[in-house]
Amino acid sequence: MPILKFLNPKGNKKQKVILLGSGALAIGQAGEFDYSGSQAVKALQEEGLEVLVVNPNIASVQTNSEIDKKVFLYPVTPFWVEKIIEQERPVGIISSFGGQTALNCVIELEKSGVLKKYGVEVLGTQVEALEVSENRDLFAKRMQEIEVPIPQSKAVSTVEDALKVAEEIGYPVITRSAFALGGLGSGLAKNAETLKNLASAALMSVPQILIEKSLHGWKEIEYEVMRDRQGNCITICNMENFDPMGIHTGDSIVIAPCQTIDNIENNMLRDTAIKIVHSIGVVGECNVQFALSPFKYEFYVIEINARLSRSSALASKATGYPIAYIAAKVVSGFDLLELKNPVTTTTSAFFEPSLDYVTLKVPRWDLTKFTGVSKLLGTQMKSVGEVMAIGRNFCEITQKAIRMVNENEEGITAGVFKDASKEALEYEIENPTNLRLFAIYEAFKRGYTLERIAELSSISKWFLTHVQTLANTENEVTEILAKTKKKDIYEAFKTLDKGYLRKLKSLGFSDYQLVKFFLSVKDPNVKYTQKQIKTLSLQVRKLRKKLNVVPVVKQIDTTSAEYPTGSNYLYLSYDGQHNDIALTKKNSSIITLGSGSYRIGSSLEFDWCSVMTSKYFKGKRSDSVIINCNPETVSTDFSTSNRLYFEELSFERVLDIVDIEKPKGVIASMGGQNPNNLIQPLNEAKVKILGHSAKTVDMAEDRNKFSTLLDKLEIDQPEWISATSRKEIDEFIKRVGFPVLIRPSFVLSGTLMNVASDDSSLDYFLSLTKDISDDYPVVISKFILDAKEVECDGVAKDGEVIISLVSEHVENAGVHSGDATLVFPPEKLYVKTVNSIKDIVRKIAKGLNLNGPFNIQFIAKDNDVKVIECNSRASRSFPFISKVSGKNLAEISCKVMNKEKIKKIVIDESEIPFVGIKASMFSYQRLDGADPVTGVEMGSTGEVGCLGSNFNQAMLLSMEATQIKKPKKGILLSSGRERDKLKFMEVVDSLYKLNVPIYATTGTARYLKEKGYNVNCVHWNDSPRAVDIIKDGKVDFVINIHKNFDLTDRKDNAEIRKTAIKCGCSILTNIEKVMAYLKAFDDYEKLQKSHCINL
Amino acid sequence: MDKTMTKKQTRKKATLELSNGMKFEGKLIGSDVAVSGEMVFNTGMLGYSESMSDPSYVGQILVFSFCLIGNYGVPTLNGGDFFMSYGHESSSIKTQGIIASEIFDECYHHNNGVSLEEWMISQQVPGIIGVDTRYLVQTIRNSRNLFGWIIPEGCKKENTIKKFPFVENFKKEEYVDPSKFNLMPTVSTKTNCIYGTGKKKVAVVDCGVKWNILRMLVAKGCSIELVPWDSDFSKVKADGWLISNGPGDPRNTGDLVERVSDLLKDNKPVLGICLGHQIISLASGAKIKKMPYGHRSHNQPVFAIPGHKAFMTSQNHSYTVDSETIMPDWDLWFENANDKGVEGIKHKTKPFMSVQFHPEASSGPNDTGWILDQFIKTL
Repeated sequence: MPILKFLNPKGNKKQKVILLGSGALAIGQAGEFDYSGSQAVKALQEEGLEVLVVNPNIASVQTNSEIDKKVFLYPVTPFWVEKIIEQERPVGIISSFGGQTALNCVIELEKSGVLKKYGVEVLGTQVEALEVSENRDLFAKRMQEIEVPIPQSKAVSTVEDALKVAEEIGYPVITRSAFALGGLGSGLAKNAETLKNLASAALMSVPQILIEKSLHGWKEIEYEVMRDRQGNCITICNMENFDPMGIHTGDSIVIAPCQTIDNIENNMLRDTAIKIVHSIGVVGECNVQFALSPFKYEFYVIEINARLSRSSALASKATGYPIAYIAAKVVSGFDLLELKNPVTTTTSAFFEPSLDYVTLKVPRWDLTKFTGVSKLLGTQMKSVGEVMAIGRNFCEITQKAIRMVNENEEGITAGVFKDASKEALEYEIENPTNLRLFAIYEAFKRGYTLERIAELSSISKWFLTHVQTLANTENEVTEILAKTKKKDIYEAFKTLDKGYLRKLKSLGFSDYQLVKFFLSVKDPNVKYTQKQIKTLSLQVRKLRKKLNVVPVVKQIDTTSAEYPTGSNYLYLSYDGQHNDIALTKKNSSIITLGSGSYRIGSSLEFDWCSVMTSKYFKGKRSDSVIINCNPETVSTDFSTSNRLYFEELSFERVLDIVDIEKPKGVIASMGGQNPNNLIQPLNEAKVKILGHSAKTVDMAEDRNKFSTLLDKLEIDQPEWISATSRKEIDEFIKRVGFPVLIRPSFVLSGTLMNVASDDSSLDYFLSLTKDISDDYPVVISKFILDAKEVECDGVAKDGEVIISLVSEHVENAGVHSGDATLVFPPEKLYVKTVNSIKDIVRKIAKGLNLNGPFNIQFIAKDNDVKVIECNSRASRSFPFISKVSGKNLAEISCKVMNKEKIKKIVIDESEIPFVGIKASMFSYQRLDGADPVTGVEMGSTGEVGCLGSNFNQAMLLSMEATQIKKPKKGILLSSGRERDKLKFMEVVDSLYKLNVPIYATTGTARYLKEKGYNVNCVHWNDSPRAVDIIKDGKVDFVINIHKNFDLTDRKDNAEIRKTAIKCGCSILTNIEKVMAYLKAFDDYEKLQKSHCINL
Repeated sequence: MDKTMTKKQTRKKATLELSNGMKFEGKLIGSDVAVSGEMVFNTGMLGYSESMSDPSYVGQILVFSFCLIGNYGVPTLNGGDFFMSYGHESSSIKTQGIIASEIFDECYHHNNGVSLEEWMISQQVPGIIGVDTRYLVQTIRNSRNLFGWIIPEGCKKENTIKKFPFVENFKKEEYVDPSKFNLMPTVSTKTNCIYGTGKKKVAVVDCGVKWNILRMLVAKGCSIELVPWDSDFSKVKADGWLISNGPGDPRNTGDLVERVSDLLKDNKPVLGICLGHQIISLASGAKIKKMPYGHRSHNQPVFAIPGHKAFMTSQNHSYTVDSETIMPDWDLWFENANDKGVEGIKHKTKPFMSVQFHPEASSGPNDTGWILDQFIKTL
């Protein structure tokens, strides 16, 4: 059966289908849906459909506008989707490519009768079936009917019932909540006390939770299943968690395919997965999760996701089988036999990939970015990104993955627990945080037995054996190196047997790690910088190449070489002797370095830039090559480039690939800070870098050099020093006064950045940084209050600005630009300010001799403009600015880097027919204990960009899209400092127009009453307490203006904010953002009625 | 220093010599003996013990394309009782030797078995690890009829292991080519054996039967009489006949084809699996051809001609039925979705059916187990 009849064009007119995206990236729902969505769009367009993408995630590739696609940057909610349906009249809607958000939205649209009303068919798994998969009771009942075992459990809606059920089942128990992504409200309770806390917290945001038997220590295994309308069914991949049951699979280290289960176990679970998928009636993709006993042939089904998921994206990248693409064909009507496997192009898509390599996913956590968050891992997902390593043995992929995820070359040998006590080490292994693997490694280095570690961790001995091998090898090689009398690195390693050196490489040790081992025994007291070690590692590289100890290139082909293939999906391994590809054209490839793992500060937007770059050069008939290691991305879709190396973005690995490719050049300025950091060492290793010269990049990044340049150009900047002692800091503050901004050099997303407003906060914040020294200077700069923050994104060529676009922050300076709300075109800037900014940009471009993408940040107070920093690379705001302005900054950058002729682009921003607002998405709900305030440290996990016909409309949409929901029950207000209170009076009428009860903390209430406003007063400690109002559900919106940069106040208000987050309230903490939001309601009615804008 | 590492370090070198002149160096595992055989590869990622003990691999050196083999050890053989011994498809290793990238040296699985290497040593089977198996698979794929020698360092290239009688036919240094000889005497039972107590009785003609065929028939309520390949099996009192899987060239099986033709003259149900399918096809008048490099994997897509329903199957064969030669009274029943090869035929009127794939799986997917049910229904 080809595509469904009603999807065929009517006359000459293509039929429309809606594809729902997942919105802003949040913990539990991230970039994987851009990958699946963009594959789906391609698959549907090929079938002659016009795709309407509803997704406010402006940095995604799927929201690029193109032929046969309309992009609606709207919140994925029933209200907006209905409006778009009414306006566009699509014939179908697809729910399975936009995560839980899209699924929930379609279920609601079906239930409310909207889909029926407009005659819109759900493509793929029908809503009835979705409900069985989503509703725990229905699911449990169905599993009973088909005799599939599920862990004993019961749904409860009160804390009392929860305790009763737990008694019946027996502790430990797990709580889970229905209809939630990433296991929100989940937790492990070993006793009644913990359960009480967990249940009461969870029941505040969901009506029902599940109490179930804990399967601590069981194996956690997943299957990715695809089923077509005919009922043909395949399992594309199975995956096994390194961490046993108890840690959310999103937070687990995962290996694909499964390694410790035998044929019987595999087929027992595979059969069950298929049985479930048949019974539910899934059409398309489905993920099935199992708990498997390590003691006997026994298992339980944990849950299923009848949609594309993080795991399906991982499975696609692990196997090469493009699950989302095929799933999109299947939901549009094809059966699997009618489709070809796109990797081989000759064999059937009804096929289960066979791998001749292994892959390891390791999550990326950024828990240090959030004060107060527990680092313990559990059933609630906390990671913000992931990497995947491919290799031919477990040691190799473990080493690769750990290096990939921590973006330094040290990897597992970093010695994180080097100085830990026995107790601390064992505690970590038994009570895992994100660092457990390092603790296990350290324990093996200290001689712990396999049995002991297995007992503490419940991790399978198969996995542990390999970690032990690595630790033993480090001990061994260090011992051998200690014995050599050679001082020179090259000579020292030459004394090793060639076979042994190959073995070390095959176990995944990097040259950097080997050099570090050598230095640790030769010069234990000398501190070497990363840069020095990198340079020394070239000696080992030279030796290896002489001995021909080099990696080989292997293809991922889905068939384990059973069929010949031209697959361009590649990885490198030392376990092999033969290269799968032979490059004939010399010096024709252009290598784009991707962004690596998503993390706070580097996310989807940099993947967008990488994808644009790779596609640009692919389109130019250059050999476009991508290196990246993030399985959630579009850049690692093998159709994005001519060749994809799913590899480490490390100095060594990039050099390996450069040796193989002998490229025309390497592009390192489109993937964010991670690849940007490679420019200097690559340049020193004589690799041709396209775009900005290494000198330019160095001058922009080195504060001293950049500052000197600004002085020379007579451009103003906030006063600053790079202090190497406390004395220098004190003298500086004496001169410029508080507040000051503190930051260590070379920061990403403001790590450990803080604003100190007095001596005590200065002491506190300095105590958080590394010891101040020549090696680790601290930059202190004057912090300017009440100033606007402005950004300029653009592209320059040979020092001349080609295009520059100015945008402004809604928040005043002090909120990290990654967390700020960005407006483009700017609304509230003086013409004079814009002009001086453009003038400064021209001067800087000239001064730095910029030759590629750039982003410069400013603060402006009155008409006084100061430069904060300059990034000589593509910035976070590139996709947003590009899409709103219609000028693709990434493509323009490519033209410059490709040395094409290009004219200056002048655009009249007043001609842009709408206003775009980029707003940040925070995931505090998942981060138990985190204080949700914005500051100079970046904390957001994602962003949206919405368009409105004016500022207010764009503001309302972007807030809704970041889960700031219009208050319905009540608002709790604390309006901060005196001056903020005064400022707030400007919008107080808008607040009251919302027509819900207003509660305010003592000071604010007094103030409002004085001004004649009716308000319910709540207190910190006396009844009625502010936190109780939230807990009792009397308010669903909290405005808590934090008194900027005041330590004690932070703590007082933190409880209100944390409670608000726990109870699922919308929360705003920044005065300017609050004011903009409340004022925006003036246009609320108009927005509801207006035509939906598409890109 | 842990055990794993010391073991690895003391491993001997070994060489794989191929009939096309290529050599692969690696480390010896298992028994310290030289062997020769036909080079074949399997792309299944699990089920190494099932494969190695599968009689269809007699005379072959099996290359595992998956990089990590032996992860869950090998379950102990409970006194040769195949009803209990999951993980084994016969009582011993049938491959001449194996080639892998890496093996795991322990068994931590709850099946309480032994490590892969211990099993190999106990059965006098050698292997080589540390080989670029992907390259080797590509090499086998690109060369028809490839044979190899596993030669441990210091060993002579000599066919000294005479576990299987047919190997004696080869000269000392000659490559063992199993298709040159009739392998039935090597793998078939010498005496009739009865299993199960079920009412319906199946005579299983043992051409090297995989134990799971017997396990499944008994589990589905049949009794079985396992009969030697060269016995007058049409005389056995049974409700139906199953011609089993097995090794080698189906055209090189003595008078087996003629005796199966006799069976087809009757109207009693007959099911053929793998080699049995090829024998039935030959008996029906169809022709057999050798494939370039066979199917050995767990992911062969086949579909039933009526209804186009698709199944994932486990396969292990080098020969296939020529679709052009299927006799008019037979229907093509299953086809391979990749290469359009014949995967099963069915008689138009009589209860005869045969499949190229393995409905008994083991190892591999169980999607086609229903074929045994369908066969049993006709009994």
